[in-house]
Amino acid sequence: MVRFKNRWILVEFIPIVHGDSQLGKQSTSSPPLDGKTIWAALKQSVLTNFGDTGWGAVGLSLTVKYFSPTTNLCIIRVARDQHKIAWGALTLLTSVEGEKCIPNVIHISGTIKHAQLAAIAHNREIIARYRALAKTSVFDDGYETFLENSSREIDALQD
Amino acid sequence: MFFDLNVPITKKISANTSKKGKGTGNEALVSYSPAEIAAVEHRIDLQVHLGYTILSFCQTINKRVDPKVHVNVLNPLVALLRKRPGIVYLKRLNIILDQDSEKGFGLINANVTFFNSYDLLSLCPTTHNTFNQACLTHSLPSNLTAHIISLPSTLPRLPFHLKHTLIRTAIKNGAVFEINYVGSLGAEQEPTLVDANAAESGPAAKRNWWAATRELIRVCKGKGLILSGGCVVECDLRAPRDISNIISILGLAQDATHEASTKTPKSLILRAETRKTYRAVFSEPTVVLPEDSQIRSSVPGPVEQMEIDPDSSQVSVSKRPHEDSEPLNVPRQSAAAQPSKKKKKKPNKSDKSSS
Repeated sequence: MVRFKNRWILVEFIPIVHGDSQLGKQSTSSPPLDGKTIWAALKQSVLTNFGDTGWGAVGLSLTVKYFSPTTNLCIIRVARDQHKIAWGALTLLTSVEGEKCIPNVIHISGTIKHAQLAAIAHNREIIARYRALAKTSVFDDGYETFLENSSREIDALQD
Repeated sequence: MFFDLNVPITKKISANTSKKGKGTGNEALVSYSPAEIAAVEHRIDLQVHLGYTILSFCQTINKRVDPKVHVNVLNPLVALLRKRPGIVYLKRLNIILDQDSEKGFGLINANVTFFNSYDLLSLCPTTHNTFNQACLTHSLPSNLTAHIISLPSTLPRLPFHLKHTLIRTAIKNGAVFEINYVGSLGAEQEPTLVDANAAESGPAAKRNWWAATRELIRVCKGKGLILSGGCVVECDLRAPRDISNIISILGLAQDATHEASTKTPKSLILRAETRKTYRAVFSEPTVVLPEDSQIRSSVPGPVEQMEIDPDSSQVSVSKRPHEDSEPLNVPRQSAAAQPSKKKKKKPNKSDKSSS
């Protein structure tokens, strides 16, 4: 049985504004990042760093499955045999749509289940960081609904 | 536990040329403005977020070191930074060697007190002779060992051929070779390095980096390598596992890349502490007295009878019913007098975070 194996990469894009990283702050970039723009930027990075052969190896199986503009969290699916090239190109990515950012790979897994769990845990952490900075009451802010919605979206991901 | 042993700090010292300011007491001239401190803190926040726990600030000096002129700019900086639990700050001095430094560049015994204010010493050779010196003489264990050798990997052509025997000797002596990942992004390098023609920035630098680093990995065969940053601007920082992946694309086995970011730097830092000891002796040796010194030689099995741990007050005795207690008193006294000869005071790791 030749099963098609994948790797699910969980990335966080840390935006850079005026040379300062915006850790823990809401992203205020005017053209909001999108799954499609990230895919285009990643394709460009593979082409410049690994050439046409690199894109040929990775391109068919590379898809951006989920992206959340609030937490800058992205889930990318690649085939297992070429995931190193895709991971390398992701690390060497410096900007998306002209906006500089730092790609921080949080988790890599072979099944979607663990990627979902890691994504939900990461969301929780991010919201905790926002809350610590904002210092408002826990029940007032809209983060609870955001957490629920995002968890639902993440769980709805299919292979 | 991930290490970033190259956080470059450039600090221009105000040109205060009063005659009275000569000597190593010039640290008072180095002052950091609150904006600079905030920038460094911000960068450390980002690195902690990415997963680094041990950071080493790096000051770069060109050509030669003169303690009368050069100042340890990192001491005041580390004193001013906020204490973070679980994060360790270290200080490192990087010396760029070129043709003028072939005769000597200040790494001599007279300047030991200046070098002792740094935790790590490293060299960046740019010519064949300085590379020879760095690998052979300066990696031997002593008070002035430069444990890190950092090759200029973004230059258009590596100035010297990496000879296998030299590198093997250096690694055997305990030195490590450093890979700075800032070159893989073609990003901005430390200005002192660029001025000294030891590094370049831009897309051409990227190509040179890939070639030179691949060669270094091939010659080192995966041992004695450390991965470090060298990024000047924040947007070039990357998480440690991402960098390990880039190096594994270059051909290093995956476990070796993981070692290069965790185990090798850890043992390097511990080894660098031995600069303050005699000939890199690390452990506390136990004193084993030979059987015929002050003891009746009729007793067989002297070793287990005489083995005394200097720290413990009890003497381990083998069970011989016809022994009397007299021989036990003598070795205890003479053993207590001796252990101070080779004992090294082991600085506690917790000292570092408060330094």
